[in-house]
Amino acid sequence: MRAFLAFTKKEWVELIRTGRLAILLVLFSLFGIMNPAVAKLTPWMMEMMADSLKETGLTVAAVKVDAMTSWTQFYKNIPIAMVIFLLMFGGILTAEYQKGTLINMLTKGLARWKVILAKGCIMTATWTVCYWLCYGITYGYNWYFWENGIASHLGLAAACVWILGIWLIAVMLLMSTVFQTSSAVLAATGGIALVSYVVGLIPKARKFLPTHLLAASGMLSGAGSVEEYWCAVWVTIGLGVLGLLAAVIVYNKK
Amino acid sequence: MDVLTLSHVSKSFGQHRVIENLEFCIPEHTVYGFIGQNGAGKTTTMKIILGLLRADTGVITVNGKQVCYGQNHTNQFIGYLPDVPEFYGFLTPIEYLELCGEITGMEKREIRRRSEEMLELVGLSERKKRVQGFSRGMKQRLGIAQALLNRPKLLICDEPTSALDPVGRKEILDILHTVKEHTTVLFSTHILSDVERICDKIAFLHNGKLEFQGTLEEIRSQRQGRGFQIEFYRKEDVALFLKYFPGTVSEGGYKVLCERNMGNNMQNNMKYVEKNMTHAMEFVVKNNMAIRSIEMLETTLENLFMEVVGQ
Repeated sequence: MRAFLAFTKKEWVELIRTGRLAILLVLFSLFGIMNPAVAKLTPWMMEMMADSLKETGLTVAAVKVDAMTSWTQFYKNIPIAMVIFLLMFGGILTAEYQKGTLINMLTKGLARWKVILAKGCIMTATWTVCYWLCYGITYGYNWYFWENGIASHLGLAAACVWILGIWLIAVMLLMSTVFQTSSAVLAATGGIALVSYVVGLIPKARKFLPTHLLAASGMLSGAGSVEEYWCAVWVTIGLGVLGLLAAVIVYNKK
Repeated sequence: MDVLTLSHVSKSFGQHRVIENLEFCIPEHTVYGFIGQNGAGKTTTMKIILGLLRADTGVITVNGKQVCYGQNHTNQFIGYLPDVPEFYGFLTPIEYLELCGEITGMEKREIRRRSEEMLELVGLSERKKRVQGFSRGMKQRLGIAQALLNRPKLLICDEPTSALDPVGRKEILDILHTVKEHTTVLFSTHILSDVERICDKIAFLHNGKLEFQGTLEEIRSQRQGRGFQIEFYRKEDVALFLKYFPGTVSEGGYKVLCERNMGNNMQNNMKYVEKNMTHAMEFVVKNNMAIRSIEMLETTLENLFMEVVGQ
């Protein structure tokens, strides 16, 4: 346990001293501010453009924005934030292989599964903090400007995307044990997400796939029911746990 | 007691046999030099001892416990210094040693005390500076400090001096010599002067096989009397000498070389070389030859090394 904590602490110090945590916090805060800001600015932009649009024959009716507009923005933007997050952690294991820094730790008796688990914990913790920070900021502004009450199942829908992020972290860890370079790890992680998306084009398969959770915003307007997502949630959690186990097994054999 | 024993250890990578039937043991408080060309199998052997590679056959014990691949319980007895040690650049030496100590399960107070002691021993004064700004020599020092932190029974160093300048090299060798009192050192190198400076026992590895091993004196006495060399004053004496002793060769000019392994009657033994030398001197005196010098040729490690690698 002490070895695990010590290694986790090292990961934590790395996160802070390399400036990665600061960058992510700033980035996710910006994303959080951007969602209500875009919603707030939409009517004003429409007004600005109304004259030029009129010349082309289009008339712009008064645009009504509310919390829902802002939440829609949130779900549009969060995948981008997620990709940036993964890019920043793409080399979490491969950088250590390439520099050879882990050899010393392993020869000192650090169990391999502790390496995987420590890195998994740190990434999950960072993702959790960053994600809910972004959510919290958007929520706060929405509450201040409009009324969050018009969106139903706000927390539940957000949790779905959060779980998707954790699944992607597990996938990335698994790929990190398989491949030697961070570009290969990122490509493989992206590939798996893409496979999930493409298979999701088949309507019958859709509700069992992790990427279906990205559509969880449908709950807000009441267009989709909560039940529609339970399957995907459980499958995603299951796959995430399996991915982590597989990462430990593969890494033990490396 | 032997700290490390290897018996019948072999390892291949595909078709390529890297180590063949390796067998040796290292007694306590010895500095054991592991000599060989690049690619002779030194690093592979060390990685197998550390459990980082799997041996195809053979048994290795460290401090009486058998080494298993992938499991590193025997590593609690081993301190390892890689050829180019890599550390987390964002940590300071003290923090790095703390991490190492925690992983090996040392007590907090002990970690602090040992860290100070070790940094003192290796002469690393920049304790608050992050490792990313360190020179190679400084990294090597930190490498030794971390390897010795938990008082290992065996310190394995993979070419610790290869990448250093002469001053840095001397300092590292001095440190290794000092730590002999507390631990046993196995270090690989291809720098022969390093070996002569600090090793008690040496082993020559060539193409994965142990060509020979022993203490420096043993090896020297076994291989002593490579032959002798005479330098004459006159050309005609050289010619006469060469004619009388068919196995000898002219070294160009006035020098004549009489080596044991040149197919003459001289044999692979010091006694015979001595006999031959006195025989030659008798001949010199009898024929009134003046000589500039006569010299018994000592076998240097370099000669041995060249002989082993077949050059």
